[in-house]
Amino acid sequence: MEFTNTKNGDKLVVAVTGRLDAVTAPEFDTQCKSWLNDGENRIIADLSNLEYISSAGLRSILSAAKQLKTAKGEIIFCGLNGMVEEVFTVSGFASMFAMYPTLDDALAG
Amino acid sequence: MKRHGIAFKLTTLTLSCAFIILAAIVGYNYYCSRDVILRQSEENSRLLAHQTTSSIDAVLSSVEKVAQNIAFSLEDATLTKEEILDLNRRVISNNPEIYGMAIAFEPYFLDKEKLYFAPYHYRSAGRISFSMLGSPSYRYFYMDWYQIPKELERAVWTEPYNDEGGGGVTMATYTVPFFRTVNGKRVFAGVVTADISLEWLEDMISHISIFDTGYAFLLSRHGTFITHPDRNLIMNETIFTLAEESKSEQLRKIGQDMLGGDNSFVLLEDVAGKGERYLYHARLKYGGWALGIIFPKAEMFADVTRLSRIMTLIGLAGFALLVGVIILIARRITTPLTKLSGAAHEIASGNLDLKLPEITSNDEVGDLAQSFTYMKNSLKEFIRDLTSTTAAKERIESELRIARDIQMGILPKLFPAFPERDEFEVFASIEPAKEVGGDLYDFFFVDEDHFCFLVGDVSGKGVPAAFFMAVTKTLLKVVSERGLDPGEVLTKVNADLATDNESCMFVTLFLAIIDIHTGETRYANAGHNPPIHIPETGKPEWIPPLGDPVAGIMEDMEYTTKSLTLTPGDILFIYTDGVTEAMDPAQKLYSEERLMEHVETMNKPSAPELVKDLDTSIKKFTLGAEQSDDITMLAFQFNGEQDK
Repeated sequence: MEFTNTKNGDKLVVAVTGRLDAVTAPEFDTQCKSWLNDGENRIIADLSNLEYISSAGLRSILSAAKQLKTAKGEIIFCGLNGMVEEVFTVSGFASMFAMYPTLDDALAG
Repeated sequence: MKRHGIAFKLTTLTLSCAFIILAAIVGYNYYCSRDVILRQSEENSRLLAHQTTSSIDAVLSSVEKVAQNIAFSLEDATLTKEEILDLNRRVISNNPEIYGMAIAFEPYFLDKEKLYFAPYHYRSAGRISFSMLGSPSYRYFYMDWYQIPKELERAVWTEPYNDEGGGGVTMATYTVPFFRTVNGKRVFAGVVTADISLEWLEDMISHISIFDTGYAFLLSRHGTFITHPDRNLIMNETIFTLAEESKSEQLRKIGQDMLGGDNSFVLLEDVAGKGERYLYHARLKYGGWALGIIFPKAEMFADVTRLSRIMTLIGLAGFALLVGVIILIARRITTPLTKLSGAAHEIASGNLDLKLPEITSNDEVGDLAQSFTYMKNSLKEFIRDLTSTTAAKERIESELRIARDIQMGILPKLFPAFPERDEFEVFASIEPAKEVGGDLYDFFFVDEDHFCFLVGDVSGKGVPAAFFMAVTKTLLKVVSERGLDPGEVLTKVNADLATDNESCMFVTLFLAIIDIHTGETRYANAGHNPPIHIPETGKPEWIPPLGDPVAGIMEDMEYTTKSLTLTPGDILFIYTDGVTEAMDPAQKLYSEERLMEHVETMNKPSAPELVKDLDTSIKKFTLGAEQSDDITMLAFQFNGEQDK
């Protein structure tokens, strides 16, 4: 799993590639902590290149969202497709978070 | 390859080098010194020869001059016999180097009456004696000393000879012809002879001594020995007769060179066991004689040889000292190393309490010993830590195993679960992953007519997931038995789970309650994978998700209840994502498509057949790749009212 962070205004765009599962979830948690430490609390997670997400990955996302909420911030998602989109839909995450089809939409939203 | 220790290698290498250096120094010194000595000897012999020949030449030259002067004065025809005698006597008394002098005239030249006129003054017993030469028995004008200058019309030195008349001394004579003018013509008138004793020559030359056995010798113009330490050779042998005797071509050649006028320094072959010798020879200016100086090579180089021998001895002594010192140094290095090596071997075999050898040397070896001690202590500490960590880990693992057993123990495992019931058949299986997971399933009667079955998946793994799973299962059972709708059950359970859920754990759930008489099934889905409805006839279908979120996150969520009706023979198949996300070694997912395809190929399976067949299919797909999640499947088959 890899992260590519790009600053866009007051938002941090994080492109996540690869797999987000039990193995890589702790890495996601660590990244999330470092964003918070850097004072970033408005995160756009671009998941267009995320191949796979497991329930552990969902939990990491949930945990991140909770922490951001405490810091008066938010996390929004964009570019979901295939299996990831399906998981978000099935698990109800799609109704819990702000979702956008593309990064441009997310930035505009 | 043979193994050699450091000490051996160090000693061998250093000593080889030292030996080579030593040999080079001694050898170079020896050859250089020899060269210097040889050049010095040549120079010395040249000087010596020059001195000797010069002093001989001085004598011979003065004798020649005296004789020539006398001959010149005798060309004056006015000299009387008395004046001639007087002249003769005066010459002897004034020239000590001249042994005797004769003035010999041609027969009847001075006096028509007298055949002989040859006054001879000579030294005898310290006085000057006189005699007139010439008698019928000694017709002097036939003698060589008279004939040769007369014929050659120039002065000559005779070959040395033993003078019987003069007391057996070895003599050489210089004879000079003189001429007078008679009737306007220059005619031969006689000869003047000057004799010299060669005793002084012998004296002079025998005083030349070189080293122990070196000597000088003098050769006449024909190669006869005039002087030589071996008196037998004098006047008896020539250098050529010697060469003939010893069959030495070199000696003959040297004889030729000596008399031919060359001055040179040559190495003589070993003749008659005298060893190699150097010869310096020089030719005299007068008399055609040649001087030879012999140097015995061995004696010449004796000093160099002795010096080299001493140097070699000193060198060897130094060498021996070096051997000792190097062995000592090498031992000082290798002894502690050997001890350390032994200790290391023992440490390697596990004896960490071994006391390391005491090494106090303040060098690299000492450093090594210290590092060793440090390593040993670190190892000891590390192993102690490792032991306790391993013990702790084993304890945790064993506890986890027990937790796993307990977790699995709370799931109903006895099949057929309701053998007395013909209306339905339920079958479930759980294939736990290596790590403790959070899958759960359950089924039970809510009341006489309603049967509840459910499958859930707690996010994450380990003990927290197991706890969460146990809590969820208990809550579900308790809440379901109140006779609520599935949606209400999930709403209630979600609210309970979400209260104080700091760890963000959540659970996906699919819960269905069926009326076992009518087949009417109400269900609710909290973010769970869509189950499959497999009708007895017709295509299997996904039961679409309701969009309700996973349970345990937000307290105030409302879950919806949907319903469908099962006809006899229908199966409702519920599973966790362990099925669709089972991976082969290339991390390819089993996938929902594959699941559906497989289900479609089956022809009216029973609930256990369906589950077991899918299990086989999944195992075939993963090819033994490590399972990362629990694989849970539950199949509920509705059979309807059976005729009793």
